[in-house]
Amino acid sequence: MHRKKTLALAATAVSGSLVLAACGGGGPSASGGKISDGKVVLGLLNDQSGVYKDLSGPNSKVAIQMAIDDYKAKYGDKAVAKDIEIVTADHQNKPDIANTKAQEMYDRDKADIILDVPTSSAALAVANQAKAKKKLFIDIGAGTTALTGKSCNKYTFHWAYDTYMLAHGTGGVVVKNGGKKWSIVYPDYAFGQDMNKSFTAAVQQAGGTIQQSIPTPFPNDNFATYITKAQSTNPDVIGIMAAGGDLINFVKQFNQAGLQGKTDLAVGLMFITDIHSLGVDQFQGTKFTDAWYWNFDDQNRAWADKFKEKTGTRPSFAHAGNYSAALQYLEAVQRAGTDDADAVVKQLEGKKINDVFLRNGEIRAADHSVLHDAYLVQVKNKSEVKEDWDYEKVLETIPAQEAFGPVSGDCKM
Amino acid sequence: MSAFLQYTLQGLAAGGFYALAALGLAVIFGVLGVVNFSHGACYMLGAVASAVLLDTLGLSFWWALLVVPVLMFVFGVLMERLLVQWLLRLDPLYNFLLTFGITLVLVDLVKRRYGVSGLPYQLPPGLDGRVTVGSVSLSLYQVFVTLFAVLVCVAVWALLTQTRIGMIVRASTEDAERSRALGINVGRWVTPVFGFGIGLAGLSGVLAAPFRAITADMGSNFVIILFAVVVIGGLGSILGAVVAGFLVGLVEAYGQAYAPSFAQVLIFVLMALVVLVRPSGLFGREEAA
Amino acid sequence: MSEQLTARADLELAGEPVIPASRPGLRWAMLAVGLLVALALPWFIYPPVAMDIAAWALFAISVDLLLGYTGLLSFGHAAFWGTSAYVTGLIAINAGVPFPLAVLGGALAAMALAVPIGYLSVRRTGIYFAMVTLAFAQMVYFIANQWRSLTGGENGLQGIPKSFFGIEAIETDSFYFYYAALPVILLGVLVAWRAVNSPFGQVLVAIRDNPARARALGYDVERYKIMVFVLSAGLAGLAGGVFSISHGFASLQELAWTTSGKVVLITVLGGIGTLWGGPIGAGLVVVLEDRLASSGFNGVGIITGAIFIVIVLAFRHGIWGTARNGVAAWMRRRRSGAGGS
Repeated sequence: MHRKKTLALAATAVSGSLVLAACGGGGPSASGGKISDGKVVLGLLNDQSGVYKDLSGPNSKVAIQMAIDDYKAKYGDKAVAKDIEIVTADHQNKPDIANTKAQEMYDRDKADIILDVPTSSAALAVANQAKAKKKLFIDIGAGTTALTGKSCNKYTFHWAYDTYMLAHGTGGVVVKNGGKKWSIVYPDYAFGQDMNKSFTAAVQQAGGTIQQSIPTPFPNDNFATYITKAQSTNPDVIGIMAAGGDLINFVKQFNQAGLQGKTDLAVGLMFITDIHSLGVDQFQGTKFTDAWYWNFDDQNRAWADKFKEKTGTRPSFAHAGNYSAALQYLEAVQRAGTDDADAVVKQLEGKKINDVFLRNGEIRAADHSVLHDAYLVQVKNKSEVKEDWDYEKVLETIPAQEAFGPVSGDCKM
Repeated sequence: MSAFLQYTLQGLAAGGFYALAALGLAVIFGVLGVVNFSHGACYMLGAVASAVLLDTLGLSFWWALLVVPVLMFVFGVLMERLLVQWLLRLDPLYNFLLTFGITLVLVDLVKRRYGVSGLPYQLPPGLDGRVTVGSVSLSLYQVFVTLFAVLVCVAVWALLTQTRIGMIVRASTEDAERSRALGINVGRWVTPVFGFGIGLAGLSGVLAAPFRAITADMGSNFVIILFAVVVIGGLGSILGAVVAGFLVGLVEAYGQAYAPSFAQVLIFVLMALVVLVRPSGLFGREEAA
Repeated sequence: MSEQLTARADLELAGEPVIPASRPGLRWAMLAVGLLVALALPWFIYPPVAMDIAAWALFAISVDLLLGYTGLLSFGHAAFWGTSAYVTGLIAINAGVPFPLAVLGGALAAMALAVPIGYLSVRRTGIYFAMVTLAFAQMVYFIANQWRSLTGGENGLQGIPKSFFGIEAIETDSFYFYYAALPVILLGVLVAWRAVNSPFGQVLVAIRDNPARARALGYDVERYKIMVFVLSAGLAGLAGGVFSISHGFASLQELAWTTSGKVVLITVLGGIGTLWGGPIGAGLVVVLEDRLASSGFNGVGIITGAIFIVIVLAFRHGIWGTARNGVAAWMRRRRSGAGGS
């Protein structure tokens, strides 16, 4: 093991000095092989200081490093990508910073791929850059279906989840399990409107009824009026489509209204970090769709243990998603024998994958949506929680082909 | 009709909360002529402090209600002595800018220290459940917040009108020159009044903790609404802040109920109307600009 | 109260002529240096970042036109920057005209929006003006957020093309694009320069220093204020339009109050009452944000906020003003020293 590591190190050092020599010689021709600039550069562009910091943030770098380590361990001397580097930047959820940083990563840092990019507007801006620069972009953190719809392009992949998956997972399965009558409360902006539409379709398809859909302003602190309105028709389930701080506002006020345990609460978009920050007792009984859960099976748990060793905390789906995306990218480079973007895209398209994150995964060639099993989960009761982050109970696995929507007609590659 | 009554009550409940938070802003402007941009950040600190005190010392909501305003008072005194006082003699824009800078620093410090996902906070026992009278129903905590806010507003009003300290403070608000001529040392009251205003911001933060997401950004949009409240009420007018607080609460509730897409715009439309018709606000003195 | 405020009003905002008029040579030399720096910028700084600096510099100048020369602090200038960003984007996407035309369209839209907002806002001065403009900007923000069919909601308006007579280098390479867009920015700077160095500018300063006297002299103070407000909105619009073309999208971020706050921060940091302050502040803040974003240090606000506090407390002339006064004092001392010996 030790020797192997030393060898790898030596290899890195040699190739590194080769690059240096090449630069000193004044021409890139000597860098040799099929790897541009002599190394593969993975760019992690996400929110390292704002609302998505805990969900993904700096710990995703650790996850990507784990993918690199696993790739190197697997292929050793045969690895096509010998020198692999990670560059990171904080886009602060601002699309203009994301846009500039993405250009910088592609141009200056010679990034071959950009990963993560939460926040829809930022993700779409980076997708446009990927298209312009003809380099890869795998989005993990953003949920907008526009990435595989109107804004889809040859170099952009959407790896983990989207609003369709969230709505159809939660809406469809909850109805099947007896929650027939719904009231939906949604924030009145693009994300909320999409979610409301998808949820309504999913619930009705499954044979449920939507008693009312109530729009709310965004952002909003005070949900008392809407909670009263939603409850007024005595629904089985109240679906809330708010996210982040607004979701926490809603849940606190929902519980205060004495509805916890009386009316089922289904959440459109929720992350394990939300449960952690607000406390499991506030959310207990709530149902939502998750893209991945660390304590789902032994394979996930083993990976989560390794992750915890390095970070001291449990991984969210975004961490596992970044790991999976980085690993599959490197595997594709290995198969292609080069990091040339077009060759790698060809290797990724249509590929069927099973890894710690993707179960029954398939990279759909038509729109670059990555299909995989999703999970309808329920937040545990406080008494059932055995350890930190042990918050979710998987009620049902939603098969990959059902979890994601059909190819959008808006997508023209 | 009962729906209308329901929304009215909810509007009043929200209004009481706005009134309390705007009160501190009005008191500070009245006496110091400072528009405190960091009022939202101080509100956030109040909420974060109660969550942290609960987590580390097990300090309950009721104790936080007592302790946090005192801590924030001290914070306000320090802020005035160290920073704000140096700019009091200059154009009030400078303190507006200074407190804007303070806001940037405070928000990012809290982000670094406590993260961004929000801190947990439990509803105090005894305040959960609902109060139902006839066809209308409010959560018990909403009722509590409203009554508490009204109580504090009345207490502040009484303090300002019924006590000697209040007289002095009010006199210095109305006419600093004359008060000085009468031998009243206005400067002595500047620091405690600033601290008091910040204490009120902290108090509204404590009240917000059980029913709002506690994050570093929770005050960012809140302070803008408070600005609208004090502009509608008339800058520096205590009564104006309270009345406008309730007014804005009602407009918000009716807007949410009958025109949800425009609920937030409505507050600013109201403000624009007030500026158009009565530029100095509902209770502001005409020359106060 | 009003007496108290005027008595307190401090004229450190004043924008004395940068260099005594007796030395026009120095003035032209400085202009030449400024132009040279603007031209050389993308050689030293990553071109998209250089473009950001130029856009924020003009944006800051537009705010300074109000703050430094008229004494009005607008805390809602994002409304004009952002409106123009969207309108520019919509024109560029739908009409396919060369981008400078789209930017001009955006600037005109910002000016049109500034007429009613200005009419209402200039009824108040000082701190009221700041809060009223802030509130109007929030209105615009919420409307853009709702008007999804036009603005794309929180996804933003994506895919804005850099059309420029089919010249591919400019349309695809941000380095060349910089030189195509710089004239638009310089046009804005020129307009601001002409405005402050004209009788119009002198009236503005007179209004700032003593509105009652200006009124007594027969100037329609409110009309002048509305005019400068609309002009300033137009410059902010030019800047916002270039920004959205450069990035290829417009988002709600452009309309958020934090954008208004950032441009005020840049203006005050650089120094108010002088057109040089904006570019200096913009260079500092944009580069700082860019560096910090890749440094792993999260908390840009702690650094920019702390610098800002120090500037407001101790160096109210801003970086440019402080440096200028320092040089002037040094030169005076040297001259008097030379005269004495």
